[in-house]
Amino acid sequence: MKIIPCIETPVSGNYKDFIKELASLCEVVSKLNGNDQHPSIIIEQNFGINSIIISKELMEAGNKNKINVIYAFNMRDKNRIAIFSDLVTLNQLGLRNIIISEGLHPVKTSFYSAKPVYDIDSVALSSAIKLKTEKEANFQLDRLAFKDFNLGVMVGASTPVDLVKIKKLVLLGVDSFIINSFLDNVGAIKYIKSRNRECLINVKETGIKSLDEGKDKAVEYGADGLIVKIMNEKTNIFNRF
Amino acid sequence: MFLTEKKDINEVIDTLGKYKKIGIIGCASCASICLTGGSAQVKEMEKHLSGMGKEITFTISIDEPCDARVLKEDMRFVEDELKDTEAVLVLSCGTGVQTIGDFTKKKTVAGVNSRFIAQTEHIGEYHALCQGCDECRLNVSGGVCTITLCPKGLLNGPCEGHDGIKCEVNEDSTCVFMTSYANMSRFSEEENIGRILSPRDYSINMLPKK
Repeated sequence: MKIIPCIETPVSGNYKDFIKELASLCEVVSKLNGNDQHPSIIIEQNFGINSIIISKELMEAGNKNKINVIYAFNMRDKNRIAIFSDLVTLNQLGLRNIIISEGLHPVKTSFYSAKPVYDIDSVALSSAIKLKTEKEANFQLDRLAFKDFNLGVMVGASTPVDLVKIKKLVLLGVDSFIINSFLDNVGAIKYIKSRNRECLINVKETGIKSLDEGKDKAVEYGADGLIVKIMNEKTNIFNRF
Repeated sequence: MFLTEKKDINEVIDTLGKYKKIGIIGCASCASICLTGGSAQVKEMEKHLSGMGKEITFTISIDEPCDARVLKEDMRFVEDELKDTEAVLVLSCGTGVQTIGDFTKKKTVAGVNSRFIAQTEHIGEYHALCQGCDECRLNVSGGVCTITLCPKGLLNGPCEGHDGIKCEVNEDSTCVFMTSYANMSRFSEEENIGRILSPRDYSINMLPKK
């Protein structure tokens, strides 16, 4: 059972200071998970500083400590051309752990009037990344350019149709599943584990009283780990550890 | 039916500002059904503009102003009045406005906002069910269009943000993938339930559409 912090990049401040804070956070995570584990951290692309740059800098900053940097992005903000460009870039930089989600609709964000993209959904993108076939006529890029991604997909697990989506993703070869709450009405975790895939539960830091409580609950659900989304970088739950 | 809604009258008045002699054309089809461009709304607009000192040269309701053939036939009734008209106010969807503008060669002003292809539940209650997008997937999606009814237009299943059966965005609505799944289950469409749909091919529907 591991705990992984997830943080969005900030909109202001010096990014180098942010890198230092992340490196400190990784030390806390390392202690939390036991020093024998390399700390993982998820850098989520939203509307702050470019997360690929932050992920690269953090990976280099933590080279000796081997920080496992995971880049998370959504289907909301970029079309397939821009997403492929990011994948090619990530691959070149050696950032091969990625998590994808459909993403919160713009009307639920401070950019409520922005055009939602959703050009390609997470299932179709998983198909492009994992199957590496020419079946999808829309993908004419060199599939070898992103052959080694460790792919995680954010999913729901509250209804039978969520399980249908999970089964599609398993079929496509997705490596990890991130269930977007402590809600599994359909035996999703059991199914994912039975297919030898990693299963993590994702919660906001405000959704749990303490890391211990979250961890215990994740263990109870049979998950491999708990992702805790930091909502405020200054007062985050990991600082209280 | 193509749904339209009334424009803010001040916007219409501003646009007509420098024109004195105005013709008004309504739509006896869609805009009439949604009470934005029928004969009653044409009369209402005539009264409003006359009261502001505009000279109304003609009013007419055309069955389908978006049909260039019908438009050409019906406009013969106001041929002479049109010659003496400076601007034409059109109470129909954008297709009607542009068809009329192309035909009359006069300054053409849209009097309504164009919304979407709509199912009429009752007068005043309309639902978008189809966007006329590209390759219709209704045969493999349980007879409901997820491109139109999912705010994210997803194809392969619900997003991670839905709350039980409720949509993440429209919290009072059921996620369309629940309906899609229920319909496919009802008709034992196992193949469609597990089907992975390719991303949309936008080249099929490239603008301008012909």
